[in-house]
Amino acid sequence: MASLLEELDWKKYIGQETGSHTGEPVLARDIRRYALAIDDPNPIYFDEYAARTGKYGGLAAPLNYVSWSVGVPGAEKGTRELGEDGLSSFVGVPNIPGVWTLGWVRGGEELEFFKPVYVNDRVTVNGKIVNMTEKDGKSGKLIFVTSEFTYTNQAGELLARHLITMIATPRKEDTE
Amino acid sequence: MSNQLYFEDVTVGQEIPTLKKSVNTVNITMYLATVWLMDRIHFDYPFATQRRGLPNIVAPGNMAGDYYVQLLSGWAGEKGSLRKMSIQFRNFMVPGDILACGGKVTGKFIQDGKGCVELDLWIKNHNDVTCVPGKGLVELPVRDVSKV
Repeated sequence: MASLLEELDWKKYIGQETGSHTGEPVLARDIRRYALAIDDPNPIYFDEYAARTGKYGGLAAPLNYVSWSVGVPGAEKGTRELGEDGLSSFVGVPNIPGVWTLGWVRGGEELEFFKPVYVNDRVTVNGKIVNMTEKDGKSGKLIFVTSEFTYTNQAGELLARHLITMIATPRKEDTE
Repeated sequence: MSNQLYFEDVTVGQEIPTLKKSVNTVNITMYLATVWLMDRIHFDYPFATQRRGLPNIVAPGNMAGDYYVQLLSGWAGEKGSLRKMSIQFRNFMVPGDILACGGKVTGKFIQDGKGCVELDLWIKNHNDVTCVPGKGLVELPVRDVSKV
């Protein structure tokens, strides 16, 4: 069977870096509102004293916040500039030729945590395409693209390593 | 804390206490606002259902990761930590869902003097549909490394 990956000529992008972004300092308000949104009542996210005497020794965000701590690159746009779906970019979908000829869904992710994000941290993310594979699915070819994002703080300490696998399929006819 | 869990307390095959979460539009909206996520499938009902063919607006998949962080950080206690998790997005979490987030110990080993516990993880809705299965690696304190 013909390979869609070969047809798209994407294999050459494996190993390509996809950019580096540094966020603004994380606020106590960001941490508090995030904990409220996920309904995690642990006082270490709300109370300075509880945080200092708790497991992280200071006010830190719930671990999974790390991937938001930089902000989504390009997301802060007015409504006229956003796509009609409200999106400006899709984290994990690489910016390579032909990418929007396919439809994308999230497959899964893996997160390894080394240190939490503390209040006032400025986090930097570095992205890289680490793997691409292809499978025959029920309704056609599936392409799996795995990207790796590493997060470091202003001291250069590694906070987390994040692998995101996106699944691409040939677009179905638009039913709109 | 006296109720700290230790590596020695854990047995392969045991299930950990379940964390219940309820998904509702207020929590989803708080999440979208705080992380500045404007994907309309998360808040625009006509768009999500008519244009994207979804059953309802859907919770951001990342929230499943947050539920696992709460489940496993809580289980590991002050002296333990969540080191790694992998999750797969199988079914959407939607408003009205009552979720049971749970896990089962599948392995344990000592690495560099630290107690490591491997778990299978699940988030099931009230219809017993697994939405976001996963795996986790949690580090627990060890009472006596010479005896394990």
